[in-house]
Amino acid sequence: MADEFTPSWEDVAQRYGRKIYNFAYRLTGNPDDAADLVQEVLLRVRKGLSGYRPGSFEGWLWRITRNAFLDGVRRKSRRPETTLPEGDHHALGSSPSPDEVLASVRLSDNVQAALLKLPYAFREAVVLCDVVGLTYDEIADATDIPVGTVRSRIHRGRKMLRGLLTWPV
Amino acid sequence: MNPLGREELFSAFLDGELTTKEAKFVNEILAGEEEAMEEFHGIQQVRKALRMLPDLEIPGWLLPDGHLGEQLSSYLDGELSAAEQRRVSDHVIGCADCRAELHDLDRARIAVRSLPGVETGQFDQIPVIPRSRRRRAVAVGSIGIAAAVAVILGLAFGGQQQPTISLDDLTTQHIARASAEPGFAVFPAGIEISAP
Ligand SMILES: [Zn+2]
Repeated sequence: MADEFTPSWEDVAQRYGRKIYNFAYRLTGNPDDAADLVQEVLLRVRKGLSGYRPGSFEGWLWRITRNAFLDGVRRKSRRPETTLPEGDHHALGSSPSPDEVLASVRLSDNVQAALLKLPYAFREAVVLCDVVGLTYDEIADATDIPVGTVRSRIHRGRKMLRGLLTWPV
Repeated sequence: MNPLGREELFSAFLDGELTTKEAKFVNEILAGEEEAMEEFHGIQQVRKALRMLPDLEIPGWLLPDGHLGEQLSSYLDGELSAAEQRRVSDHVIGCADCRAELHDLDRARIAVRSLPGVETGQFDQIPVIPRSRRRRAVAVGSIGIAAAVAVILGLAFGGQQQPTISLDDLTTQHIARASAEPGFAVFPAGIEISAP
């Protein structure tokens, strides 16, 4: 990671806001919670940037993101996690055929619903890997667990999803 | 190596997280065991489905230059959910631009209500762009708004002589916009409205 500089708060928002939003959306299946998390993370980043020392910026950012998320979960005493996701209809482009769109909506709803059924530790590992796109080392850094555990969680998470998803989708 | 430990290598293999030696080991397993191959394909399929999840657009107002825009009008109209309302309040408290916008918008609404000789029923005649189309329609919409302004001023000033009123002043523009499009609060830069 070539993070030799300390980015501004605006840089962080522009560069990572969308990733943070997607991270939270996939963990909660809820756009309001995702928006709340982005606001909270950016607030913490703003406060924390002065104390940030050049190093693994992504590790630092995702630690903040994860902690903000977990704090939010604790604070809110969550609604049941089996809440049906709202779907991703607003994210679809306009070019594919209606059938393709429907299939894609079904698939992503299906995957989202399955994700919400995973125990948190596995859901988090899978989302950080497959949605956010972090390496195992970065996930270990962000979640403060050994990289061997990260590897195990990602695999077991995917294995559980395999059982939860209805194929063919 | 125990079976689960061995299996874990499949995910790490797909993620490019193995050493050359480990990757070679996985290749050997997959070449020799049909059952392992099936397991591997299953994991591969799940991984693909996860990575195909759409990359959702972040709501613009969450970004630094993404101010509240039309949310401000909905806020004034009490149309937002509790969560949205709280976020708008938080943003407005911290953002001078949106505070000023909210203030202008509020003044404009009051001013419209106090225009002489205009009955509220007449506003029903002014076409309103449906909410979902509004963002894209902003640039085109300004022409319609100018027309709507002329209509409103015409009604307000008797309709006989053409009003020669400059609409450069922000409040007047807001009157026009807030009247023509009740949910409209964004004022895009570079668009100037002036009556003929
Ligand atoms: Zn603002």
